[in-house]
Amino acid sequence: MAILNFEKKYRVRGGTLFGGNLFDFWVGPFYVGIFGVATIFFSVVGTLLILVAAAGGDTFNPWRINIAPPDLDYGLRLAPMALGGYWQVITICALGAFGSWALRQAEIARKLGMGMHIPVAYGVAVFAFFSLNIIRPLLMGAWGHGFPYGIFSHLDWVSNVGYQYLHFHYNPAHMIAVTLFFTTTLALSLHASLVLAAINPGKGRDVKGAEHENSFYRDFIGYSIGTLGIHRLGLFLALGAGIWSAICIVISGPFWTRGWPEWWTWWLKLPFWAHM
Amino acid sequence: MRFNTTNITMLSLGGVIGVIGLALLFTFERLPVQSVQTNFRGTGAATVLNPRTQALLTAANQPPEAPEPADATGERAREIYENVPVLGHLSVEQFGRIMNVMTTWLYPGEGENLGCNGCHVPGNFAAEDMYQKHVARRMIQMTMALNSEWTAHTQNAGVTCWTCHRGNAVPLNVWSEMPVAQGANFLTRPGEQNRPAPLAGYASLPTDAMTSMLWGDNEIRVAGTNQHPRPESRTSIQQTEWTFSLMIHMSSSLGVNCSFCHNSRNWADWEQSPPQRLNAWYGIRMVRDINNTYIESLRDRFPPHRLGPLGDTLKTNCTTCHQGQNRPVNGALMIQDYPELLPAPGTALPPRLGPAADQRAEVAGPRAN
Amino acid sequence: MAEYQYLFTRMEVRGPLYKGIALDPSNEDRVTGSATFSHLLGKLGDAQLGPIYLGTAGVLSLLFGFIAIEIMGLNMLASVNWNPVLFIRNFFWLALEPPLPQHGLRLFMPLHEGGWWLMAGFFLTLSIFLWLYRTYRRADQLGLGSHTFWAFAAVVWLYLVLGFIRPIFMGSWSEAVPFGIFPHLDWTAAFSIRYGNLFYNPFHALSIVFLYGSVLLFAMHGATILAVGRFGGEREVEQTVDRGTAAERAALFWRWTMGFNATYESIHRWGWWFAVLVPITGGIGILVTGTLVDNWYLWAMDRGFVASYPTYGTLDPLLTPTLPPVTAPNTGAVR
Repeated sequence: MAILNFEKKYRVRGGTLFGGNLFDFWVGPFYVGIFGVATIFFSVVGTLLILVAAAGGDTFNPWRINIAPPDLDYGLRLAPMALGGYWQVITICALGAFGSWALRQAEIARKLGMGMHIPVAYGVAVFAFFSLNIIRPLLMGAWGHGFPYGIFSHLDWVSNVGYQYLHFHYNPAHMIAVTLFFTTTLALSLHASLVLAAINPGKGRDVKGAEHENSFYRDFIGYSIGTLGIHRLGLFLALGAGIWSAICIVISGPFWTRGWPEWWTWWLKLPFWAHM
Repeated sequence: MRFNTTNITMLSLGGVIGVIGLALLFTFERLPVQSVQTNFRGTGAATVLNPRTQALLTAANQPPEAPEPADATGERAREIYENVPVLGHLSVEQFGRIMNVMTTWLYPGEGENLGCNGCHVPGNFAAEDMYQKHVARRMIQMTMALNSEWTAHTQNAGVTCWTCHRGNAVPLNVWSEMPVAQGANFLTRPGEQNRPAPLAGYASLPTDAMTSMLWGDNEIRVAGTNQHPRPESRTSIQQTEWTFSLMIHMSSSLGVNCSFCHNSRNWADWEQSPPQRLNAWYGIRMVRDINNTYIESLRDRFPPHRLGPLGDTLKTNCTTCHQGQNRPVNGALMIQDYPELLPAPGTALPPRLGPAADQRAEVAGPRAN
Repeated sequence: MAEYQYLFTRMEVRGPLYKGIALDPSNEDRVTGSATFSHLLGKLGDAQLGPIYLGTAGVLSLLFGFIAIEIMGLNMLASVNWNPVLFIRNFFWLALEPPLPQHGLRLFMPLHEGGWWLMAGFFLTLSIFLWLYRTYRRADQLGLGSHTFWAFAAVVWLYLVLGFIRPIFMGSWSEAVPFGIFPHLDWTAAFSIRYGNLFYNPFHALSIVFLYGSVLLFAMHGATILAVGRFGGEREVEQTVDRGTAAERAALFWRWTMGFNATYESIHRWGWWFAVLVPITGGIGILVTGTLVDNWYLWAMDRGFVASYPTYGTLDPLLTPTLPPVTAPNTGAVR
């Protein structure tokens, strides 16, 4: 199973971004490449550090492990390992692993003669992480503003950072991001349903093609975006969700310090109805 | 690029979006910001401040310069003056000092209804004709109580008339019950929420949590106290919104956010709450005491123009003193300069602590929800 | 090295309007008059706009939906004393609130105390169910499977839980969500505060996992298809039944990246399940909140998955008769 019956002709050397043929081979189904080695290095070191940091805590229960960033007093300096230093090094490892992973995707895409959509899309997710734990802490002047590494502890962080601005639902960028998240999911369910419905129309019926798909959507809502368009739409919506999420947290603090509901007072104060 | 309809449409659309986007940038604040951690690292609990706003607040909240301390020895005021029931125990020099300074706190300047004439019939200081004098007397009693019974909240800073009044006969930040605007006939009324209201921090939450929780003593604690429902735990989402509104008011008044007093992962839990929460808890009880025992008890004394549209008094909330700062008046230790505003020796009631502070005020306000 | 990345259509080829697959005579006629082309739409997807099939169910669905929106809008307008400017200024703040708690589950009550809300909900539900029927009927008439119907049914479940099923279990319509932009966000926040932090509700957690997962999957899937666009990769049905090089490359990309790949058909099954599980798990999470669990944080403590932090050890003044005087507030952090 390591190799699919049609796979052999695609497994050719070359197309790497960097380092020539170094590590240009496969292990089982996995392509390695120089960035694969870098990914493994960063993820192994990062994971080990998580375990070491967890050993310094009071639990190995995966739900409860919490590796917290330094106190705000440390500002943008390095903290002692047990007081947030682990978090700092793990953050570097995470970014190293994410970055290598994106570059490895780019190499694989080149090898297969594909576009660069996947590494770029993945880059947006990495950018969201980068915004949370690098850009915003830099802007606010302390690594302690990053989120902790822990399943439920990071949710506590989300909760408290939200309430730093009293009612986070009023953050306009958060509204846009949430809308995009839901819309992407809606679009995914509609697209997936349509394709499955065409391929699996039910017993005794023929598989249907794009003509039927178009007809269904025009009958249904008056517009069919088409087989290529739906993937553009889905990709743009999904990337929009990630980008607006990053925006909504980066503006919270660096560019707004009060309650988010208060932000909307500019609307109320527009000159033509400010008196009302 | 060819200038066909589509391109022109897209260009103008992009232009409009660009202009609006650019304009929106000016609705935000800018770097740098300051932050102070308020709980264990990584919990995301921090006070986030804009130093430019802070500088303005500091400038606007300067304490007044205190006059030279007065000699506390010598003849007592009550031996010289008539009708001095609450300050008669002071020395004559102290009495003169606090009367003088009160004119600058409340009625600065000279003339009709200014300076001493703000409370006293000109030429007859002993006369009891002006309602202002009765109000001032009650307020002095209140100030003494705040500096003795309510030290759990006022602490070593204490309060003086200045803490609220800031040179105004009526403090700038007061509130009264507001009429519920009427809708048309059988259609939905606006009710007490769903419009932008400063007291709710401009959220769409209930606009008047004050009446319910700072005049009345409606329950503020809303979260379930047990993991599974019990018949008695029937707190509604609506009630929760009232509490949320009150808490937004408290945060905005103090220029802090929720994490100043809570770990939001479990609002109710005291153990993970910073100790400021205890202070705030006493603050809520103190404000209820102020509004009921001291201010509402004066309702009949006030002329109509000093009452709200529904006939209740102009009352206090957190903003009345705090005005955007978590320590009012830049944290000045006000009472240390004005020992005259401490209760007469031997008359102070013990500090209200623990459950004793939660006893219902004598005049309970309306239960609004 | 700019090359065509399939992000936008560079050249639009325009044929005649396509009227659609012929329908069985038991159907009504399509609304073909308004069908047209849009160059702008063509940049992203198909340039043809319309025709649409309305039919009785579709018309009724739109009508009832319009009535529901109208009830909401007029109530909001009434709440600003019919002032149109104030209506626009305050629009985000306005709401049509659910019935007052004292009306419980009554079906008849004064209109301004919840009657309008109940009526708006009734018409909205009617509209949604007619639309649901439409998703089934339109697919069936074209000989397609009923996958869209079931996916839509999943979100109807969440809608019904929020506005109908949970209120019935709780014994009061007042538990339902108000209609309004900011007000429904207030409701959501208050719901979490009241029930001890929804983040500790495992069904809420699952719903978010599926939500983020759906976005991740669509980003992966959309990007993959566009990336193999030059091999005709968007022809998914054809590639499913008769695998071409696009499908092979798309599969190998993920195989080489993460050791596993979906197929042209199965990626849509992954996507479908992730998407429909968002409202399904979300609906369960809402339904059990307040009915079975009153405080999710305490529930989670009992099950041992709450992270522990050093605490201040502050005491509840109500439970502490001999509370020592408070010292100056500590603005520092607990270490």
